[in-house]
Amino acid sequence: MEWSFPDRHERFKASLQESEGSVSITSLTRDGTEVHIPETSVEAEGKPRRVIVTVGGEAKLAHVIRNGDTWWIHMDGRAHEVIFHEQGSKASANEGSLKAPMPGTVLQVMVKEGQRVREGQHLMTLEAMKMEHKILAPKSGEITKVHFSEGDRADMGSSLVEIGD
Amino acid sequence: MSLDWMSDAPTPFSKVLVANRGEIAVRVLQAAKEAGLSCVAVFSDSDSSSMHVEIADEAVLLEGDNLEMTYLNGDSIIEAARSTGADAIHPGYGFLSERSDFASAVEAAGIRWIGPSAHAIETMGDKISARSLMIESGVPVIPGEQIPVEEGADHLGALASAAAKVGYPLLIKASAGGGGKGMRSVSEPKNLRSEFEAAAREASAAFGDGTVYIERLLKRARHVEIQVLCDSDGGAIHLNERDCSLQRRYQKVIEEAPSPAVNPGTREAMGHAAVTAARSVGYVGAGTVEFLLASNGEFFFLEMNTRIQVEHPVTEMTTGIDLVQKQFEVAAGLPLGISQQEVTQNGHSIEARVYAEDPSRGFLPSIGELAVWSPPSGPGIRVDSGVREGDSVTIEFDPMLAKLVVHAPDRKAAIRRLDNALSSFVVLGVRTNIDFLRNSLSHDSFQGGSIDTDFLDSTDPSELSGSETDHHTLVAVAAAAQRLGIDRQQVAGTEAMDDHTGHQGDPFRTLGRTFP
Repeated sequence: MEWSFPDRHERFKASLQESEGSVSITSLTRDGTEVHIPETSVEAEGKPRRVIVTVGGEAKLAHVIRNGDTWWIHMDGRAHEVIFHEQGSKASANEGSLKAPMPGTVLQVMVKEGQRVREGQHLMTLEAMKMEHKILAPKSGEITKVHFSEGDRADMGSSLVEIGD
Repeated sequence: MSLDWMSDAPTPFSKVLVANRGEIAVRVLQAAKEAGLSCVAVFSDSDSSSMHVEIADEAVLLEGDNLEMTYLNGDSIIEAARSTGADAIHPGYGFLSERSDFASAVEAAGIRWIGPSAHAIETMGDKISARSLMIESGVPVIPGEQIPVEEGADHLGALASAAAKVGYPLLIKASAGGGGKGMRSVSEPKNLRSEFEAAAREASAAFGDGTVYIERLLKRARHVEIQVLCDSDGGAIHLNERDCSLQRRYQKVIEEAPSPAVNPGTREAMGHAAVTAARSVGYVGAGTVEFLLASNGEFFFLEMNTRIQVEHPVTEMTTGIDLVQKQFEVAAGLPLGISQQEVTQNGHSIEARVYAEDPSRGFLPSIGELAVWSPPSGPGIRVDSGVREGDSVTIEFDPMLAKLVVHAPDRKAAIRRLDNALSSFVVLGVRTNIDFLRNSLSHDSFQGGSIDTDFLDSTDPSELSGSETDHHTLVAVAAAAQRLGIDRQQVAGTEAMDDHTGHQGDPFRTLGRTFP
């Protein structure tokens, strides 16, 4: 199995060793390259959804919960998401596609298919919760597909625009 | 609970219906219970198991699948009051709280309205009429053009000439506006038309009225507001200021009292102006007069909010006055019972608004199930919230989950207390702005008390990013939790057995460890 973080491309793999309810990390790779980490072990804390994480001899409490393919972890005062991937699964097929972050109405479409855009360029305006939100290009490239026209309703998660290289 | 405090009231009531949902409904329902009043909640279908329904003595379903049919449906709410025998209605904030027609309808139905008169709501709700009244009353206003520009009219000529008079940068504001909706800043003439159209559209959609006007945009100003409290015998006092300068797109994020930028002289002058503003409309109840405070100490009337505010707790923490209880007393016709000289200011209080929103995606609302919801507690920590663990966050309602309020002897201690409380606020399953709040608090400009309302919108996001994420340890924790079957543990709903001893969470095993 592999692990990644939202909005980040690198993939991690961890080798584990379990003994008496404690799991130690024996190796960690990042995009196939071994990374050196301090001695790290994790054990159930006794109460549900809590684990004790020991890094380099220092123990701390973390709250964890799994929701689908995402592990939510609260550690060191901050919440994080770590995404689980089955071995060999391809990098997200939606790379370069912009999804509607919430259900809404497309108010404006400022780009056409075939047009080149810069990173950060305003592509579309979506109205949701009675507020207007600008949809900006996450990277520079050519617009390969525009899925909605002005006035259309977009469901949450539907692809709005696709950007090629 | 007895109703001692109500015994001499000229216009007593005994059962309050709260026409709202979420944290403010919970706040008001709890206050009603404390006051010995019976309380009634209203709810939409999707709120049938919400917290405000749970804590109310009675609850009435408002049928319908949109807000117009439920929380914005004045007729149904008045009918709910009639059917349950509620003799008073508290509107909370948002929804119908600033709708003068609703206030009138409530009074006409013989039900006590816990709020100011319909006349006061209407005058202050229309920003253009409020501006005119303030000018008449001698309260300073921001230089601007009060030419109402109606939607759909041939607007460009009038707009352009008004804009030229006011000067750039300027602000287009919805006359019926609030909460940043229908408000757009324009830095140069070429953007005037598109921003005007966007503001008018937003105002139309949000308030059913696309009328906008323009005002000079004051740069480097702070948002400072004064809490006022008025009774029906002409008593009117102010409860000092709240500083709400930390805003994002005109929406408040962190509020505090007292303001680090207000000295006793300014406080007195602003307080006097606020009381003058309230008196000019014959205000009754709790209200807030908002000002912009320029860097040279000049201040200008922004608007008056004719309701309880989201950020009212910081005033309660520093003055010791329960504002919702005072609203009840004033609505019952009782005098304030406190003079201006008796209002004190004790320590420092800061409120952080915890939203279900994603700072890494332009602060769009996030949705999901609150799989873990564990608010902090401790001395000087108050959490006003309307959600519980397991509740779903949808886009149907405002994404504010909770207000985390701290009180400490001074500002530095309050910042430390708030940061620590935020760090132990565990919310999993829905993305929140908690990290962003911590990052904002730790920024030098906030620590130094020198921010203005442009701070968040003009600060490079990289300055507001937190400590480096330890990706390696997080992968280790996720992989290990999966191996340990922590996810299956949820499904089974049982506590993990200690493999070694067969006990649940052997206490000796965790002793002697240090936790953050």
